[in-house]
Amino acid sequence: MITQRRGTSLSGPGPAVPPRPVRKAPRALRRPARLALALLVILAFVSPIYLTVVNAFKTSAAITSSPASLPTHPTLRNLSAALSQPGHVLQLGLRNSLIVVVCSVALLIPLGSAFSFWISRKRTRTRAVIMAVFAAGLMIPPQITVLPIIKILGHIGLDHTYPGLILSNIGGGYLSFAVFVYVGFMRSIPAEVIEAARIDGAGSLRIWWKIIMPLVRPATATVGIFLSLWIWNDFLNPLLIIGPTTGQTVTVGLYDSVSSQVQPDYGLQFGFMFLAALIPVVGYLLAQKQFRAGLTAGSSR
Amino acid sequence: MTPLRGWVRQARRDIGLSTVAGVGLLLYLVFLVAPVLLSLVTSFTNQNILFPNSSFVGLANYRMMLHDSQLHASIEFTLALAVTVTIVANVAGLLFAILLNRTSLSYRVLRTLAFLPQVISGIIVGFVWSWILSPTGLVNHILTGTGLVSQPVNWLGTPQLAMLSAGIVVSWVLSGFTTVVYLAALQTIPRELYDASSIDGANSRQQFRLITLRMVAPATTISVVISLITVLKLYDILIALTGGGPAYSTRSIAMYIISVGFSDDAYGYASAIAMALLALTAILALSVTTVLRRREVDL
Repeated sequence: MITQRRGTSLSGPGPAVPPRPVRKAPRALRRPARLALALLVILAFVSPIYLTVVNAFKTSAAITSSPASLPTHPTLRNLSAALSQPGHVLQLGLRNSLIVVVCSVALLIPLGSAFSFWISRKRTRTRAVIMAVFAAGLMIPPQITVLPIIKILGHIGLDHTYPGLILSNIGGGYLSFAVFVYVGFMRSIPAEVIEAARIDGAGSLRIWWKIIMPLVRPATATVGIFLSLWIWNDFLNPLLIIGPTTGQTVTVGLYDSVSSQVQPDYGLQFGFMFLAALIPVVGYLLAQKQFRAGLTAGSSR
Repeated sequence: MTPLRGWVRQARRDIGLSTVAGVGLLLYLVFLVAPVLLSLVTSFTNQNILFPNSSFVGLANYRMMLHDSQLHASIEFTLALAVTVTIVANVAGLLFAILLNRTSLSYRVLRTLAFLPQVISGIIVGFVWSWILSPTGLVNHILTGTGLVSQPVNWLGTPQLAMLSAGIVVSWVLSGFTTVVYLAALQTIPRELYDASSIDGANSRQQFRLITLRMVAPATTISVVISLITVLKLYDILIALTGGGPAYSTRSIAMYIISVGFSDDAYGYASAIAMALLALTAILALSVTTVLRRREVDL
């Protein structure tokens, strides 16, 4: 192999790469085959999601008799059944989930990024200790913290309330994630940028908001997208912190509604699931550009 | 300027930022650090919501764990699930990523789709799959329709099949995540490495082993560790898919903690199991990280 390479480079001017007519033809032929394979694999992979969509518009009988087909006689009965559940579980759940996600993420982003900026300017030993504590937060299962959190919230009169759930979201493992993403990004900001602003007499809070935040926009996108998805889909914390009496988030409402069915009503289930998944899926598809930018930027670190 | 005056000026400039950062730190201490410590303390007591008084019982809860066969069953199931799913999801994710690592529009659309299992909640995943695998669901529709079986297979009805089903479903969800992680890693590999190696006469298998696997090694570490941690604390998918059954065969440690703590109200014992789960997670995560980091260098 090595001699072959030397041969080409020693041959002086002229094409350094010998033409490969033999290999080019099959490569070109392989291209459609590869796309076909990719299509087949990925469409099979996401078929459970396709099933959720098509079966939301079929009657229960049609779901059982032709589970994978497109709805031949599309019906909106499942969606209206899901929307007329006792106590309007779905509508209330969607509203509650939106409130929790928006409030939690809107507070987690500034807190996480300001904290990261503050910690990235500390002396190395302080930083190492605090970062280790935050790293531990990433792997602490909610089952460990949820019981004491309910007690702590009880002491400040916020147990079984939405402000309590939002507070525990902000202070929990989600903050760890935000800090990790932000600290990684801030490491690449040159110190001169901050020094220059400092000489101009800007305070740290101003530097963070005016200079740092615009520079770490891909990090904000990553943090915002992932935390919104995780908090929207969270099940255990809302289930136990909010409790059964106060009205639930959409994930818990779905679980209660389906698991209380004595005889499974698949039409209603699919209608409920379709409407419950609509907001995160549409949000994810709309945020594609930021999602990809955040991932590629994050992986090069 | 004296050093003190410099420090005061510096502190005044920092006060706004320090306040915001302090709020973050305080919330983290109250809602993460304190609960873990409280759980640790509670694990040495016989605290039970039904009895107002509780007292320290030393290591009694931890001793009880040694003889709790229900706990042992859930530890075995959780570990088996974690290992299987981590392997399956990471192999599948890497293969999917290699397959999808092209820039044309159709591939970009497929890449967007591949992450969808991660976008929908675990409760929906569990319910959709419990229908797919049910006696009247899609899998049995295909199996009986093609004459492969005469009677519908009750995938979630027997312990062995239910455990297998749980493995398939959780691998499916995690593969969406690993695919995205490996795709991001593949995109950092310079094209020239492949070009240069094919000039050198390397075939595609050598390229995979010597370039692709080496270059995605750091991503592998992250992906494997996150997969492990995710399965070790898994709750929502399983509660919707099997509810832990049949005969508690698919009850994860996380589900057992909640059932001991909330259904039996035995906070003390639930906290002890929770601390054991934390220790197990930490040991596995740290040792796997160490091994894989070393491998990153060796490769």
